[in-house]
Amino acid sequence: MSDSEEHHFESKADAGASKTYPQQAGTIRKNGYIVIKSRPCKVVEVSTSKTGKHGHAKCHFVGIDIFNGKKLEDIVPSSHNCDVPHVNRTDYQLIDISEDGFVSLLTENGNTKDDLRLPTDDSLLSQIKDGFADGKDLVVTVMSAMGEEQICALKDIGPKN
Amino acid sequence: MQGFPERGGPGPGPGPNDLAHLQATMHTIELACASIQMHINPAAAEATILSLCQSPQPYKSCQFILENSQVPDARFQAAAAIRDAAIREWGFLTADDRRSLLSFCLSFVMQHASSNEGFVLAKVSSVAAQLMKRGWLDTTAVEKEAFFNQVNQAVLGIHGLDVQFTGVNFLESLVSEFSPSTSSAMGLPREFHEQCRRSLEIDYLKMFYCWARDAALSVTNRIVESKSEVPEVKVCNAALRLMLQILNWDFHLNNNSVKTSINVFSAGARLDIDSSKRSECTLVQPGPAWRDVLISSGHIGWLVNLYAALRQKFSREGYWLDCPIAVSARKLIVQFCSLTGTIFLSDNGQMHEHHLLQLLSGIIEWIDPPEAVAKAIGCGKSESEMLDGCRALLSIANVTTPFVFDRLLMSIRPFGTLTLLSTLMCEVVKVLMSTYPEEETWSWEARDILLDTWTALLVPLDSTGGNAMLPPEGINAAGNLFALIVESELKAASSALTDDVDGDYLQSSISAMDERLSSYALIARAAIHVAIPLLTKLFSERFARLNQGRGIIDPTETLEEVYSLLLIAGHVLADEGEGETPLVPYAIQTYFTDNMGADEHPVIVLSSSIIGFAEQSLDPKMRASVFSPRLLEAVIWFFARWSCTYLMNPEEVRETQSQDHQLQSQQLRKGLHSFFREHNQGKLVLDIIVRVSVTTLLSYPGEKDLQALTCYQLLHALVREKHICVHLVSLDSWRNLANAFANEKSLFLLDLAHQRSLAQTLVHSASGLINSEASNQYIRDLMGHMATYLRELSSKNDLKSVAQQPDIILLVSCVLERLRGVATASEPRTQKAIYELGFSVMNPILVLLEVYKHESAVVYLLLKFVVAWVNGQISYLEAHETAIVVDFCMRLLQLYSSHNIGKISVSLSSSLLSEAKTEKYKDLRALLQLLSSLCSKDMVDFSSDSIETQGTNISQVVYFGLHIVTPLISLDLLKYPKLCHDYFALLSHLLEVYPETVAQLNSEAFVHVLGTLDFGLHHQDAEIIDMCLRSLKALASYHYKETASGKTGLGLHAAGHKDSGGNLQEGILSQFLRSLLQLLLFEDYSPDLVGSAADALLPLILCEQGLYQRLGNELIERQANPTLRSRLVNALQSLISANQLSSTLDRINYQRFRKNLNNFLIEVRGFLRTM
Repeated sequence: MSDSEEHHFESKADAGASKTYPQQAGTIRKNGYIVIKSRPCKVVEVSTSKTGKHGHAKCHFVGIDIFNGKKLEDIVPSSHNCDVPHVNRTDYQLIDISEDGFVSLLTENGNTKDDLRLPTDDSLLSQIKDGFADGKDLVVTVMSAMGEEQICALKDIGPKN
Repeated sequence: MQGFPERGGPGPGPGPNDLAHLQATMHTIELACASIQMHINPAAAEATILSLCQSPQPYKSCQFILENSQVPDARFQAAAAIRDAAIREWGFLTADDRRSLLSFCLSFVMQHASSNEGFVLAKVSSVAAQLMKRGWLDTTAVEKEAFFNQVNQAVLGIHGLDVQFTGVNFLESLVSEFSPSTSSAMGLPREFHEQCRRSLEIDYLKMFYCWARDAALSVTNRIVESKSEVPEVKVCNAALRLMLQILNWDFHLNNNSVKTSINVFSAGARLDIDSSKRSECTLVQPGPAWRDVLISSGHIGWLVNLYAALRQKFSREGYWLDCPIAVSARKLIVQFCSLTGTIFLSDNGQMHEHHLLQLLSGIIEWIDPPEAVAKAIGCGKSESEMLDGCRALLSIANVTTPFVFDRLLMSIRPFGTLTLLSTLMCEVVKVLMSTYPEEETWSWEARDILLDTWTALLVPLDSTGGNAMLPPEGINAAGNLFALIVESELKAASSALTDDVDGDYLQSSISAMDERLSSYALIARAAIHVAIPLLTKLFSERFARLNQGRGIIDPTETLEEVYSLLLIAGHVLADEGEGETPLVPYAIQTYFTDNMGADEHPVIVLSSSIIGFAEQSLDPKMRASVFSPRLLEAVIWFFARWSCTYLMNPEEVRETQSQDHQLQSQQLRKGLHSFFREHNQGKLVLDIIVRVSVTTLLSYPGEKDLQALTCYQLLHALVREKHICVHLVSLDSWRNLANAFANEKSLFLLDLAHQRSLAQTLVHSASGLINSEASNQYIRDLMGHMATYLRELSSKNDLKSVAQQPDIILLVSCVLERLRGVATASEPRTQKAIYELGFSVMNPILVLLEVYKHESAVVYLLLKFVVAWVNGQISYLEAHETAIVVDFCMRLLQLYSSHNIGKISVSLSSSLLSEAKTEKYKDLRALLQLLSSLCSKDMVDFSSDSIETQGTNISQVVYFGLHIVTPLISLDLLKYPKLCHDYFALLSHLLEVYPETVAQLNSEAFVHVLGTLDFGLHHQDAEIIDMCLRSLKALASYHYKETASGKTGLGLHAAGHKDSGGNLQEGILSQFLRSLLQLLLFEDYSPDLVGSAADALLPLILCEQGLYQRLGNELIERQANPTLRSRLVNALQSLISANQLSSTLDRINYQRFRKNLNNFLIEVRGFLRTM
């Protein structure tokens, strides 16, 4: 086996700023991410079909917008490239919830992050607010992709001292 | 809800007060029925009717309603109420009550025979049948005789046609009630139904048949002679139906009359190894006792003549092809074709043949001449008669050999039955071709029936694999048919491409198509000397057309034809292996012609031409113009199937079989076998196959279906045999594949599961290398890069930001899936390298688990790799290695748990939330599998030293693991059936093997574990309940034994304690005793569980004797009825004392208690549940 091909495993370390990456449609799986109509989506269904009996395969994606929960669909020939969003998730400790709908978060290096709005949906809002009101020590996970960010999960790490 | 208080049981006529009351009840019920019909407050109306059914002894009201109500629905409900109440209260009705109810029902139907509300009569008649059956075993033969005498009078027609009709109908309900598959539930054990069935079959069934026959005979003349429809037709039709029903009876007597005791569980499964070729076909085997009625009395002749007479009348008023009596008569005739077994004398089948001939002479009119029949149907004639004719042929084929089948027709026609079958099917196929692709028509159904007929004739009779040989005329017929079939398939293929077929529809029709193709293959093999050259000719024509027309004409039509031909050829040449190595089909083994060299063997010619065609796909130009993904799918499928049978076939020609053949044929067969063997063309062909496979993986990006076929079917099949692996690893093409796998970017673009499978395949092929060192080195070379990549990635400083990039995620996922593929291919030979491989990535795995904690897709892959690796390795590991692996697993579990416990997903989308839940379920399932694998170390251990030397105690490790995992498993998650199954499997295993460690769990964890156990007890799946019962047994018997020897056992967990509110909480064993008794007595469960429930109940009772007494007393006090009360007292007493039950927990005692519990439940469950 040749040993001169290691460069394939090298990552493009400088590409961290890019919002999306191209990826062959055939390799995108259920539970992965994809950009449909310029929205970052989580893939909930992939099916393949052929164009005509002796044509090439194409992929049919059903995605759910990771921020607003809307359903989007797309069909792409499976050997073509799709855009895949760079989805980043960061954990912050929740310090405060302000009156005007913003949260105050503690970053890893000790600063605070105050520019994140709470979700407008009532049930989500109450999930976060209730947890906070109970006096639990909450860590929130903030998901960011394509210039948008949102709280996507919270976790109780024990009672507040 | 309104009740119906009732004074006294059925007795003398109603007094004046009663009358008013009865009328009120009748009125209420009539109102309720009316309001249901008009849909006014149906729930309340239903409740009213239900309260009639449930009130004690409602018989008098019901009888009153039946006799006096003008509303048929009310009468119907009254009959139903009689049935419900009588079955429920049967135990304490007096013999007179029972008799009078039965005779009331029967005389009711007889008296109202002429009424036109058929459904009320049918209901009452079926109620009578059920009452009859309920009391069947307690009624003396004399009583039955008296009763049946009345019925006989009716059936004979003494009281007129209507009563005759009603009598026949009653017998029909009775027979259906006694037949186990159609009987209604009565809350009685299966033995009861089995005894009734047996008794009816021995003593009455034949008698009923004769009555039905006589009833039919008595009206036949009237029907035949009259010019138009007469009322007698109704009786005749009912009698024919009854006869058909009796012939459908599942006869047992002739088969196992030797057995004296009835085994209810095996009685249902018949073992007709000698007579039935196919499991689906129903054979009618009533045994020799029926010979006089069915065979010798000219019964068949009468039936055939009756139908012939009816056929004459079809043009007249009142009769037509599908009129009820014609349909019944035809069904009965078809049923008679399935008659077989000891009813015929063992006179070399002459009697049977005569019987079939008699039937066939009638049936032949329905299907011969085929062209005329098909034409008539085309012009609008009903097809049902023709289809019944096909069914009759199928039935005959099921009970005869091909020779007898063919000979049958010879005496009345100049050709044999096979020829008729072939022409008939040809007609059907022609019709199919002309109507394709219209919606389903009769020709589809006819084709399927006729194909089944061929299959029944041609499927090998015995396990030696020898096909049933056809007579020469039959072979020609089969050859003609096959040619026509291929023509029609090709036509269908080329015409079907214009319409855009839906993908889903295609998928679902594939298995049906597969079945059809294997039937075609049987026909082709029957006429192998025609079929193979025909296929070869068709292939070469299509190949030539493709080559000539390249770039000039649209090849799609031809491509589709080649596609179909490949599928057909694959089926004809080779059998589906289903994991076994299939033999060369017998027809092909014995197929040879004169003056033929080894490489001119038609099979070799055909195979070579297909392989040659496939080889052209290596040429990029050809690939672009001819080899569409779909065509290549067929090629790969063909290769996979063909190579299992022919490629490097190690089987020596079996000398035993060749004794009766000439030397020449032997050599030819050897030629066929050895042609594709290693020293001949085998290696060359193998190389072509590998190169074509690599092409599909590299040159068809994104064609998942094609690549799936290559990975799962073809390559897996190739590496299954070691002698093929030896050649594989020496091929350049295989080395190229391995090299591309390790280094080439394009293979990272395959579907993840395909990559996993490819890794597995490559590792398996290492078994072809000379020794263990070489194999291990092979794996290191193959996977070294990828392990290094994971190590380097995990040690990067900027890992946290880099890791989230989609391209890195993809690469990591690929590497993990490949590692998992390698891990699943663990064999003793390669174990060392695979262990080292996993060991080297242990730390990176933990780092990645941390980094990707929010990326559930990656987390799952990580866990699955660890599961596969541990599962493959654990039993080989030495003590220090085990300690390392166990430590690693625990760190993994803790890390996973710390990320996920208390985590709540927040999302607007409900489907994303449910996805998140599903992901969690899959993760947990993987973790449970991991724990189960660790557990297995205690059972299977190939290492040289004991693991205890390193101080690793598997049971503690697994409990610790369970401790980490159980808080993550909520009752909600247990609704996933697979997770539930795995969880309880692990739990019951742990409790059975290491009950002592469970006591060490802290009380919170303990309560959680037992909470899930309680949940499992009420699960729907019997298997899960069974596992829970086993856990309970283990738990309780452990506690009992420990405390008996003076130890603490479960200690505090078993003792009651006060909770925070000061309420006394029962100990867990008490709780379980209570809920188990509740389950056994009052809830629904599968009867199969009683055994394991007994095993759990015995130690529980022994542990908690005081509570058992208390619960028993509570039950007794709740029972108001004194008879039932004393029954309950006795039953409870004998449950714990009968059969010399002692208070030890040994095998004998468990067995005794099982018996006791069974008796107990039979005795009391009936009334406890229904009262």
